[in-house]
Amino acid sequence: MKKVVKLTVNGQPYELYIKPKTLLIEVLRDHLQLTGAKRGCETGSCGACTVILDGMAVKSCSILAIQADGGEVTTVEGLAKGNELHPLQKAFLDHGAVQCGFCTSGMLMSSKALLDENPNLDKQQIKEGIDGHICRCTGYNSIVRALTDVVKGEYKEVK
Amino acid sequence: MIRDFEYFAPKTLDEALTLLDKYRDECKVIAGGQSLIILMRQGLVAPKYVIDIKRISELNYISAGKDGVKIGAVTTHRAIEKSPVMKNGLIVLAEMEKRLSYIETRNWGTIGGNLCNANPAGDPAPVLMALNASVKMASVRGERTMAIEDFFVDSHKTALEPGELLIEIQIPPVPPHTGTAYNKFGIIEGHAAIVGVAFSITLQSGDGVCDNVRIALGASATTAIRAKKAEEVLIGKKVTNTLLKKAGETAMAEAKPLSDISASDKYRRELVRVMVARAGNEAFARAKQA
Amino acid sequence: MSKYSVIGTRVNMIGGTEKVTGNAKYTTDLTLPGMLYGKILRSPHPHAKILNFDTSKAEKMLGVKAVVTGSDTIGKKQGIWRRFPELCDEEILCRTKVRYIGDAVAAVAAIDEDTAEEALGLIKVEYETLPAVFDPMEAITEEAPQIHEGVELNINVNRHIEWGNVDDAFKECDHIREDQFVCSSQAHVCMETHCALASFDYNGKLTVWTSTQSSYYIQVLLMGMLGMREGDIRVINPYTGGGFGSKFELDSAQFCASLLSKKICRPVKIVLNREEEFTATKRRTPMYYFLKLGAKKDGTLLAKEVRVITEGGAYTAMGATALYLTGFFSSFPYKYPNYRYDGYRAYTNTEPTSAMRGFGAPQSTFVGESQLDMMAEDLGIDPFEIRRKNGMTPDYVVPGQAFIQSCGLHQCLDKIEAHVKERGKLPPNHGIGIAAYGFMSGGIFNWFDTPYSFSAAIVRINIDGKVDLFTGANEIGQGSNTTLSLICAEELGVHFDDIRIHSADTGICPPDLGAWGSRETLMNGNAVKRAAADAKAQLLEFAAAKMGVNIVYDLDIKDQWVHLVDRPERGVSYFDIVKEAIRGRDGEVIIGRGHYTPHRKGMISPAYSFGIQAAEVEVDPETGKYKLLNVTTAHDSGKVINPVGIEGQLEGAIMMAGGYGYCEDQPMHNGKILNPTIADYMMIRSLDMPETKILEIDTYEPEGPFGAKEAGEGLTNPTAGAIGNAVYKAVGVRINTLPITPEKVFRALKEKERKQKR
Repeated sequence: MKKVVKLTVNGQPYELYIKPKTLLIEVLRDHLQLTGAKRGCETGSCGACTVILDGMAVKSCSILAIQADGGEVTTVEGLAKGNELHPLQKAFLDHGAVQCGFCTSGMLMSSKALLDENPNLDKQQIKEGIDGHICRCTGYNSIVRALTDVVKGEYKEVK
Repeated sequence: MIRDFEYFAPKTLDEALTLLDKYRDECKVIAGGQSLIILMRQGLVAPKYVIDIKRISELNYISAGKDGVKIGAVTTHRAIEKSPVMKNGLIVLAEMEKRLSYIETRNWGTIGGNLCNANPAGDPAPVLMALNASVKMASVRGERTMAIEDFFVDSHKTALEPGELLIEIQIPPVPPHTGTAYNKFGIIEGHAAIVGVAFSITLQSGDGVCDNVRIALGASATTAIRAKKAEEVLIGKKVTNTLLKKAGETAMAEAKPLSDISASDKYRRELVRVMVARAGNEAFARAKQA
Repeated sequence: MSKYSVIGTRVNMIGGTEKVTGNAKYTTDLTLPGMLYGKILRSPHPHAKILNFDTSKAEKMLGVKAVVTGSDTIGKKQGIWRRFPELCDEEILCRTKVRYIGDAVAAVAAIDEDTAEEALGLIKVEYETLPAVFDPMEAITEEAPQIHEGVELNINVNRHIEWGNVDDAFKECDHIREDQFVCSSQAHVCMETHCALASFDYNGKLTVWTSTQSSYYIQVLLMGMLGMREGDIRVINPYTGGGFGSKFELDSAQFCASLLSKKICRPVKIVLNREEEFTATKRRTPMYYFLKLGAKKDGTLLAKEVRVITEGGAYTAMGATALYLTGFFSSFPYKYPNYRYDGYRAYTNTEPTSAMRGFGAPQSTFVGESQLDMMAEDLGIDPFEIRRKNGMTPDYVVPGQAFIQSCGLHQCLDKIEAHVKERGKLPPNHGIGIAAYGFMSGGIFNWFDTPYSFSAAIVRINIDGKVDLFTGANEIGQGSNTTLSLICAEELGVHFDDIRIHSADTGICPPDLGAWGSRETLMNGNAVKRAAADAKAQLLEFAAAKMGVNIVYDLDIKDQWVHLVDRPERGVSYFDIVKEAIRGRDGEVIIGRGHYTPHRKGMISPAYSFGIQAAEVEVDPETGKYKLLNVTTAHDSGKVINPVGIEGQLEGAIMMAGGYGYCEDQPMHNGKILNPTIADYMMIRSLDMPETKILEIDTYEPEGPFGAKEAGEGLTNPTAGAIGNAVYKAVGVRINTLPITPEKVFRALKEKERKQKR
């Protein structure tokens, strides 16, 4: 009944032997101990579980891990380079766009996917881009400001 | 919790159809799973076999040609949203997709999955109805095509027979002087429509007289429906704001909405009235420019 | 040069780096060797007797390690109002009766979640259903079923607040209004659901990691319910994903995990799923309001009479406090010479109603500010003017209730009035509505019956000058760790980076009542400031001797520099003094202690925030839908300690408060919540979030550390009222029930049209 599933997560290849019903979020959190992505609901509505799969922001609670077989996953743990935080992470901290932090991992991954697709987002596009995420603490506007500053180039990425 | 199942990932359509024919009622097809996974997690659906068609490349395409646009069933919402094909007469499809749920859902969820889920409040159904779309279905016994409005039988129920798979959505060429608009009413963006109205109008060469019109209502009955009496109000007449309002009032009576926690049936009817007129005005403006 | 060098600076929140890198471990992220997963079985009936349990099949299931029911408990009831035992009415794990759909009846611990969930299905519970009542108005009639033994007419609590003589005063009034309102429920929707990891060891000691607003409350309540000694229970608060009032009572995850772990001496983790979170925790108290307001024709408010019935749900929880506070804040923020409040809380067979950000004040502000605008219109007085005329001022005394010291309400009024004037003439169907509010900075009434001071802190200075700050205050995302570290650093005279904070671990931190009622900055801030001052005094004692200064000179520490206050250039490095002081004391590190409990500060709170909010809406009159365009607030929270933190609180509150006015609701049918998912429960997301602007008013609150007071809850109060007033200004319809949905606006507009046609 179990199947072999191969995933590259944050640049690291993994081979898993799992039941087909295993969700991607279970693989990440329970099998690989990457607890950054969070479970926030059962209806795929809150965004807390968002990761990047083959360049797209997806909800890992609503994807079977086996559907990601052979794919490349980036989680929040893969954002920073060594001990250098990613511009998005720095911007979130500076703007107070993190409070309880539970939505933050998902919010950062969607933000990264958005910027990778279009580095010149305007305010409306940023709001549309994060609309899939519930943040009960910040009221979103500080997150929009953080992303706006990243788009403006205030946080040049260290090569 | 999701119950255990046996999993197949056929590489071709034929393989998929063979499996479907073998397992029939005991299996479920998964594409993006954005609806199915949620149902399975809640224990509402517990198939013994799951047939994953997401990677069948022959079902994943958007092609434009002389006989219109064809979209493979496994095409994601996001691909449709971003496709260069969705412009001019079909821009309404990109606009509809842009407001469908959220980016993360659209990145993985498919148009076929959405249509087969047959949520009465779904956005693609009324828009495709307004565009006079058809759907092609296949099984080991062959293929058949039907108008999309015949595809929806009841809430969460389609005309698919056991062993049958939705494989393609066909949109005929948009006639000249045609404009289509989709109006979605909700309280919070991204939520399912409380009422949705898709309005497509074709004019007799720019003189403002309606040659043909298709008005489709979403979240106003147990399936998306055409508001045929409202359409009759307009056909052959010169389009005016007053006439569009009359169409709206007619559609209001044709709608059969339910009351639920989001809105009462009476309010939904009023929304139909207002939105048919508004979507009509928008479509009319587009038709004049087309 | 600023008087302060640390407080008021913009710093990244403590714990922020862990959160943005995914390294922050929340309770749900923790695992222990041998850990089991727990699940809870809940009542499907709103009211029923439990006849018997059969757990045998579940116990035999492969992978199941323990099953508990009410018979595994010591049979106690608990509640947070420990001062009044009759209000401690909740067993959590029901023994003989269930009182709402979701009441816990059994729990299972198994090797994985799926097994635990399957095992629940094998537990057989035999119920005898009883008639149930859901509406508080019905619950208080003779015909209604009795929900708790001995509680007549299901009246759980009543509260009365009175001063002056309203009946006489109404006779003097030129104009009187009587209005009714209904305030809805609301779900907290913390992103992290309730969860606990409990580990009971063979020595009889229990450690619980849990998402909580008060480690201390959980420790003490568990003690009572497990029949253990307080000191044998350690509650640790890992990173916590929000509280908003939902997490300072003992919940089913904590209790069942502890009980299961106790049975088999293995760690057990229970994480509630989102549906349980919506249906089987607690929620905002729905209230039915009857208001009578009397004024002179010049706008002077003479009398206000308030009667409230609240829907209590199945248990008291914190509902008694909400009942009291809604009555007190119904008098806010105005000077009423005569006031009377009578509140009744009725038990119903629904999910218990308790504390939620604002704690009864969002309700009282919505109804009060709506009625005040109506009164202003009746009298032909500008809404700003009527508020100015009656608004509280510094050093006002609320008779028998409260002492207001700092009060920036009038500065707030000026700022918002200027903002509204600047907007100028509005386009059609636009409206700006205002609402004034005030809120407490922590509660005074010791309903928990704690013997401890309300807040305490310990400061330890190490040889390298690094400071360990121990506090019981819970960091739940509101930034208390950061705010308290800033206060500590400022008082001690060191840098923010010199502080290492340890919070909310009952094993090592002094008790603190927790993060609720907006108390941490003022109460724990005072304790921290005192502890830092104590440590500093010890250092300065040594420094005075070492530096040999004349007794007329005072010493202080600022920016890691121990110096003469009048001659700051004369000094010694803080690090040198620390090293020598410790050596000079036989190697003993320096420990400072501080605590704070408000005394002689009235009945409610030692200090109050104030503010006024303006919300601009654009209404679509054909559908009744409106957009929240802009919400601007002038807020007085005294001295700003943590600007990044405060902005986050003030702005963030608007999402929740706006939701309360616009879209959030928990409709029920026969006691069953109909929208217990994030898909169906509507909340404001980024596309629907209005533009927000916060205008800070500078005041100084003598009771607060460096003059600071609350900023966590005040802004949850005004938005529903501001929205209601804005909709009225835009299209002339008044909605008296929450939430103000498009359908309600549409119906009101149709009704208005019908009336105008006649």
